[in-house]
Amino acid sequence: MLRFENVFFYRESANTISEVSFDLREGEFAALIGENGAGKSTLCRLCNGLLKPASGRVTVCGHDTATVSTSRIARDTGFLFQNPDMQLCQNTVYGEIMFGLEYALSDPEERKRRTGEILELFSLDGGRDPFSMSRGERQHVALASILACKPRLLILDEPTTGLDYRECVTIMGIISRLHSDGTTILMVSHDMEVVADFAVRALVLSKGRLIADGPVRQIMKDKKVLDEASLLPPQIPALAMLIGGDFSDVLTADEMAETAERAVRQKGARK
Amino acid sequence: MKGFFGYNPGNSILHRLNPLTKIVISIGLCLSCFLTRSHIVILAVIAFNLLLSASAVGLKRSLKMLLSLVKFSAVLFVVQVFFVKQGNVLLRLPPGVIYITDKGVLFSLLFALRLIAAAMPLSAMLSVTRISDISNVFVRSLRIPYKYAFVITTAIRFIPLFSEEMTNIMEAQTARGVQFDTKNFLKKIRLLLPLCVPLLISSVRKIEGGAISAELRGFNLRKRTSGYKTYPFGWSDAAALAVCGLIVALTVFV
Ligand SMILES: Nc1ncnc2c1ncn2[C@@H]1O[C@H](COP(=O)(O)OP(=O)(O)OP(=O)(O)O)[C@@H](O)[C@H]1O
Ligand SMILES: [Mg+2]
Repeated sequence: MLRFENVFFYRESANTISEVSFDLREGEFAALIGENGAGKSTLCRLCNGLLKPASGRVTVCGHDTATVSTSRIARDTGFLFQNPDMQLCQNTVYGEIMFGLEYALSDPEERKRRTGEILELFSLDGGRDPFSMSRGERQHVALASILACKPRLLILDEPTTGLDYRECVTIMGIISRLHSDGTTILMVSHDMEVVADFAVRALVLSKGRLIADGPVRQIMKDKKVLDEASLLPPQIPALAMLIGGDFSDVLTADEMAETAERAVRQKGARK
Repeated sequence: MKGFFGYNPGNSILHRLNPLTKIVISIGLCLSCFLTRSHIVILAVIAFNLLLSASAVGLKRSLKMLLSLVKFSAVLFVVQVFFVKQGNVLLRLPPGVIYITDKGVLFSLLFALRLIAAAMPLSAMLSVTRISDISNVFVRSLRIPYKYAFVITTAIRFIPLFSEEMTNIMEAQTARGVQFDTKNFLKKIRLLLPLCVPLLISSVRKIEGGAISAELRGFNLRKRTSGYKTYPFGWSDAAALAVCGLIVALTVFV
């Protein structure tokens, strides 16, 4: 679905991406994590051809980004930017969603129907002006307008940053529903709790190099990798690591509760 | 765009001149090419400009800037050359009414060369002078109220910001499937028009934010003597001004 082969990319200031290779298969949910300035946003832009690799090859949905135009790649790939304001350009939420669809669907009736569906799914009011909405609401609108096009691959650059807990849960709920419907997802996030709860695979980027690639479960416990990327494991796995024993495999709050319950029951049975 | 208006840090002679001297020189060089009607003199001024800018920011960057100016004025040349109808006809294009005359070519060439020669010193000046130095020297030496100096310099500073914002928005829309990466120039323009609204809105927001934060940091309290930097006027400034004066005089009399 998305494949990086030994990709290098340079900026005037420094080498931003060096020697990155990975392969994201259809239906995967990968999180891209790393410190500020590690090159995560740059990597995302390389995915859909907004930036072209200096050397190496990026293939997305069967297209080589060096030869296929970004607007063509955009038909299969949804891209949510770190800052939703760059993306919003219409006076109403309704118009915004229709605008994105203009290039995906040729039939106007079909477009209207799809817009209605999406407005309902996100419980948005189509008549409002996106520029007078709160940051979280604008993020919602931006995501809605991307999902309206039903992309096969979704690239999300920090979709939950700056949102409160409830909005974060709503957005992640929508994203994980898409994932279970078969959409491939690459998500940049600084929120380790979100990564641990939702992502399956983790790619760790540090100073432009991919220093780890594996199941989230394994990476959250790899002290060396986390230290190198200046990341802190989320509280639950950190606590689980401290307790050790039966708990060493615990990643999420639910698992923690389950394991604790089991441990207490075992203790009770022994008595 | 950024390269054209941006400051290029360095420590060359030009960098160390008094900002006011640099402003006067660049205006002088601009003027000189409007005072003459000779193509050769303007070419000489362009060569001198290139030399100046190369000594400060390097030949490669200067040539790059010159090249973009040449491209721009080439477009204007082509537009202009069809509008002058006097003189001997050099070339008649099939439709009949459109033709190119010798006077038209010379006039348009002069026009294009002037444009290049006038833009170069301004751009060179901006690449060797910090914008804050420009506004400070306006306030200190020319006694322009800080408010107005700030307006001028902020306008210059906003151009690259504006173009960066535009690039960002275009990127975001391309990622949504709008065909900004098309080779067709007219199509690109047509696609750009609906984006002017968000660009304007986000810029106005940015300016508003900037104004509020400037006010919060005591913008209105600033007086002529508030700056701690002084801008001494030295021998090198006098020499530079003399050279510039000489060039202007030469262009008038040659
Ligand atoms: N347009 C640009 N021009 C030049 N350098 C840039 C540009 N954008 C980013 N960089 C540089 O590239 C490096 C990587 O930036 P990038 O935005 O990819 O980091 P990031 O991992 O997304 O960081 P964050 O977590 O803050 O979003 C940074 O050192 C940055 O200074
Ligand atoms: Mg980023």
